Amino acid sequence: MNISQPSRRRFLAGTGAVGAAALMSSCVTSSSSSGPKSQSGKGAVTLQSNLSAPQAKSAMQDLVDAFNGKGGAKAKLNTVAAETFRTQLPTYLTSGNPPDLLTWYPGSVADSYAKKNLLLDVSDIWTGPELSGYSKALQTLCTSSAGKKVFVPASYYWWGVFYRKSNFAKWGVKEPTTWDEFMALCETLKSKGVAPIGLGAGSGTAWVASSWFDYLDIRINGAQYHRDLLAGKHRFDDPEVHKVFDKWAEALPYFDPNGTALAFQDATTALLQGRTGMMLIGTFFADSTPKDQLDDIDFFRFPVIDPKVPMAEEGPTDGYFASARTGHTDEVKELMRYLATAEAQEIYLKGSSGTALPTNPKAKDTGTPLVKKGRALIEGAADVTQFFNRDSSDALQPSADTALTKFLAKPKEIGSILTTWQRDAQKIWSQ
Amino acid sequence: MTVTHAAVPATDRTPAAEPADRPRHRPGRRRALGTAAFHTGAGLLSLIWLIPIAVVLVTSTRSFDDIAAHGLGGLPHSFTLDGFRQAWVDGGQQRALINSMLVSIPTVLLSLLLASMAAFALSRYDVPLRRVLLLVMLSGNLLPPQILLIPVSKLSEQLGFYDSLYALIGVQVGFGVGFYVFVLHGFMRAIPPEIQQAAVIDGASPWQIYHRIILPLARPALAALTALSFTWIFNDLLWAITVLRTDSKMPITASLIGLQGQYVSMWNVIAAGSVIAAAPTVIVFLRFQRHFVAGLNLGAVK
Repeated sequence: MNISQPSRRRFLAGTGAVGAAALMSSCVTSSSSSGPKSQSGKGAVTLQSNLSAPQAKSAMQDLVDAFNGKGGAKAKLNTVAAETFRTQLPTYLTSGNPPDLLTWYPGSVADSYAKKNLLLDVSDIWTGPELSGYSKALQTLCTSSAGKKVFVPASYYWWGVFYRKSNFAKWGVKEPTTWDEFMALCETLKSKGVAPIGLGAGSGTAWVASSWFDYLDIRINGAQYHRDLLAGKHRFDDPEVHKVFDKWAEALPYFDPNGTALAFQDATTALLQGRTGMMLIGTFFADSTPKDQLDDIDFFRFPVIDPKVPMAEEGPTDGYFASARTGHTDEVKELMRYLATAEAQEIYLKGSSGTALPTNPKAKDTGTPLVKKGRALIEGAADVTQFFNRDSSDALQPSADTALTKFLAKPKEIGSILTTWQRDAQKIWSQ
Repeated sequence: MTVTHAAVPATDRTPAAEPADRPRHRPGRRRALGTAAFHTGAGLLSLIWLIPIAVVLVTSTRSFDDIAAHGLGGLPHSFTLDGFRQAWVDGGQQRALINSMLVSIPTVLLSLLLASMAAFALSRYDVPLRRVLLLVMLSGNLLPPQILLIPVSKLSEQLGFYDSLYALIGVQVGFGVGFYVFVLHGFMRAIPPEIQQAAVIDGASPWQIYHRIILPLARPALAALTALSFTWIFNDLLWAITVLRTDSKMPITASLIGLQGQYVSMWNVIAAGSVIAAAPTVIVFLRFQRHFVAGLNLGAVK
């Protein structure tokens, strides 16, 4: 190439100048972009929410609007996709400029963050009028192992064995209360050519199977044993856990053979179409049911196995915790107090699908027969557990999914499955 | 294709009339059979390709109650465009689409501008260490982006860029330029040096050579890269959720996963959201496809 030196130099200088100009302009834009951000840091309280489904999102927006309409502190809603939120939560809490308030779970999940000093101590607002009426169980649930209140609960839902009333009437069967009645019911349904128990632990919702483990464990060994087991104080290969799987094996022939192939929403469709008889599932089941079939949905309590064991139920609670590094402690606490009021919880329930229950004892639920029955179930329970992942950690859940999926496929290999489970869990507990 | 089609009826019309032509018929009939097999096979294959798209389109026009009652795989019993409304309004896809455009268009323009300048210098001049520079750019592309997630997130936070669209543009330009330089370098190197020498004799400066000779000649490559890079940047999710936090700044891909509920996913809304999210890249591709093909022919004739 025959290019004279000076022009080449000029060219290099030219490109250098263009590059420098680009750099300069990017510097200018960077400084202008950081400007408004620091200002918003001074202003409204950021509420980071994982309720990203369109309906729940707009319900949260109603709630924040109502708070902003009251005067006083201002809040800003920031909704993140549920799955993104779950994986990014540790990053949010450890970042230099964290969101002020976040939606999440109480109990051992919140405690694991409290132990790292990432959560704001809100013990003082628990003595206020908004929260002092909350049940003893909720108070314990929101207290960290260091004895501080770190959480404000807002709503909870319940688990039960859901079925279609019209189908049960057609098959001429009734709700069972004991395990033996339950087994007899399964036998009847099977003889009518219906898969008695739907599961929905396939493609992405393998965690649904943990509900069976949870319920069998709290019915056989009790809620306290269950919590201790998940906290690593017992072993998964203990004889107590073997008893759980022995009982499960009795019911296993009645499970829908597609149970581990269908995701829970597809399993819902199977139940609604009468291909399966019933399903142990949370209230979000009702959200995946067509509106015109909601009146036909009912549930019964997971059957009694050992009458000597106090009846505990799963009642996963949702609510809020605040970052310890928040820039405006007072405003965050004002918002948390508001979120604990009956008024705020009713606003949310009205805007959302309305199948959750408020934690404030004075707040009204949506009043459908299903919701009333659910509230009575939890209020009458001797103890309330959260759910496998909430009573342990998000890290332990995959180990349960693996173990339970394997058990559902090869129930005879339970011995080696539990040994592997214990080994996997040990790694997570010792972290 | 048209030649075989014309030949097939001709041989069919006179199968036995001209026995002398028999030896010529055999390959003709075989070719007809081959054509038929090719068309059926290709048709079936394209059907397999199109089924998922068709399912998404059908799902997006069903109502949620219909899906819940009859299953995702069931035949549709309803027709409604409400899913699109929910995704667009309640799901915040309108804002997200604007964000995606605000990121994608400047990123494509800026990174192609920078890359074409770099490729011009590296391919047309004896820049010292140019081979090393190219190798560094190539090796940067071989690096999996996942290992840079935390450094990028922390760096953008320390530079004060975190949670702004500028951060996303910066990251996308940084990660794209290496590959674009590599492609453009290869293309520009193939442009005959005589063209440039003629320009130099006519007194053109390097800037004029770049902007009036090399850039127009590199148009096919630039068009192809525009379509590709736009698709990549528009469809990116990883960097968006790494450097952004506020939902009103999230691009369309992030808002699409936001449409999934914690427990229950409204498949009709998600399908409608996917259709909305896919539309711009399809439009860009259809628009630039002409350039792409025209560019190939241009090179062939010369």
